[in-house]
Amino acid sequence: MEKTKWLEKAAQAILDADEAAAQDIAEKSLAAGMDPLEMINEGFAAGIRKMGDLFDRGEVFLPGLVVASDAMMAAVKILEQALPKDKQDQKMGVIVIGTVEGDIHDIGKGIIVTMLSVHGYEVHDLGRDVPIENFVTKAKEVNADVVGSSAMMTTTQLGQKKLEEALKAAGLRNKVITMVGGAVATDHWAKRIGADFYGESPQDTLEKLKERLN
Amino acid sequence: MNAKERIMRVLRHQKPDRMPCFGANSTVTYDQMEKVQAFWPEAHENGEAMARQALAAYSVLGFDAVRIPFSQTFEAEALGCKIKPGGSEGIPGIDSPPPYSIDDTPVFPYDFLSRGRIPELLRAVRILKNETDDAVPIVGGIIGPFTIAGALLETVPLLKASFKTPEKIRPFLEVGEKAGTALGRALIDEGADIIACEDMTASPALIAPDTYRDFELAYQKRQFDAISVPKILHICGNVDQIVEWMGKTGADIVSIEPKANCKLAREKCGPDIILMGGVDTVTTLLLKDTDTVKQECQKTIADGIQILAPGCAIAPGTPTENLLAMIEVAKAH
Repeated sequence: MEKTKWLEKAAQAILDADEAAAQDIAEKSLAAGMDPLEMINEGFAAGIRKMGDLFDRGEVFLPGLVVASDAMMAAVKILEQALPKDKQDQKMGVIVIGTVEGDIHDIGKGIIVTMLSVHGYEVHDLGRDVPIENFVTKAKEVNADVVGSSAMMTTTQLGQKKLEEALKAAGLRNKVITMVGGAVATDHWAKRIGADFYGESPQDTLEKLKERLN
Repeated sequence: MNAKERIMRVLRHQKPDRMPCFGANSTVTYDQMEKVQAFWPEAHENGEAMARQALAAYSVLGFDAVRIPFSQTFEAEALGCKIKPGGSEGIPGIDSPPPYSIDDTPVFPYDFLSRGRIPELLRAVRILKNETDDAVPIVGGIIGPFTIAGALLETVPLLKASFKTPEKIRPFLEVGEKAGTALGRALIDEGADIIACEDMTASPALIAPDTYRDFELAYQKRQFDAISVPKILHICGNVDQIVEWMGKTGADIVSIEPKANCKLAREKCGPDIILMGGVDTVTTLLLKDTDTVKQECQKTIADGIQILAPGCAIAPGTPTENLLAMIEVAKAH
């Protein structure tokens, strides 16, 4: 099978949110001698970008995007093992991310973690219900470039503001880019608390991050 | 005209003396806790503290109804979910692991109403009934089927199942519906005048609108059919894509956030549905001043809101003057 066919099939498996098909294509493409990095970037990632666009346009909904990003992760896992060691270590930036304390919502953040990982970022996912000090400790430990926080509830959103303050107090605020997301976050909110930007969707986050890291 | 007459007139599509204002969701703040000397976590666990705190909506804010409870955990706890305490500043949440996975068959326990903190919640309604002398409506809160299903399975597995194997979610919606209905009827028996159903997880921010139409709608209808008093349906976020079906559940009042399009809601739901909502809870009520609150109230009233309310549960740090500003606007309409 020719190269463009492999890439198309990879993208289609993600659009179909079909994890078994994505894994199967990843394995077979390697056996056929395809470049794993090309399969990730121009095949599977093209599929998830398209899903992201459809999500932004309201044609695909969160459940579809979650299942598609699972399929993406499964395929990437197979392909990454086939990458040469130096390629595996090349990272776009180091990101620490989590849902703030008191908030157990994990979904939006889970998708962002997948998207950032497959686009070459080193992502440290602290999970959900994360105490503010854990963001700071982890950011120091891994020498983070970016700290992202998610809040889904009006009652927990203030955690994002506390995080800004805690990063300042720890002397890290000038060293990291901060991004906020979640159902209750907005551009206005990001400005108000002094975060660098609000990521409205996976696509939006990737673009804004690229702008600021370059 | 007392608060109850005012709201009942709106529900009968008659003109009240002025616009009513109250929360479909929790309106408790730290400030009110101090004023009525009832605090968290007691007010999530003890009927007396709960009643005292609920009463603050009327006695401190001047709102037209009192509302209990202040968290979304009562049904879930009684169905076997682990509760994560919220301490003195936060609301209790649901902890992992969830009691079920998607291939399990969930059980509705025969002694549901005597489980967890439900007896205390019911006691709070009895106390409120005595205290309010039937002049202030008591709003009893229940949780919608999809949101309870999300507690039983955790939200992510539920969402994935709604996409991959949607038929498997039905038994969970079924138990969720039974739980909310049983609680709603018990609240009415104790004196609740209105039932408010919060169904956060049924928002298009989380599930596909088709899933709402093809799965959730039937359970919501069944629930509202079984509840004799006026019903509020509250779903968070931008509900434009499902608001038409929200209006077909049997709800008397549809409660929406400012993110949703109020004019569209009127167009889709028709004239019989009462629309409730008004002010964004974080960007405005928590963070802005009274002038901005008033402006936002005026705008939503112009867009067709008939009961002024915070768009969702308010953040507990919300300043009292911003809530008083809402009632001030209501009094002028």
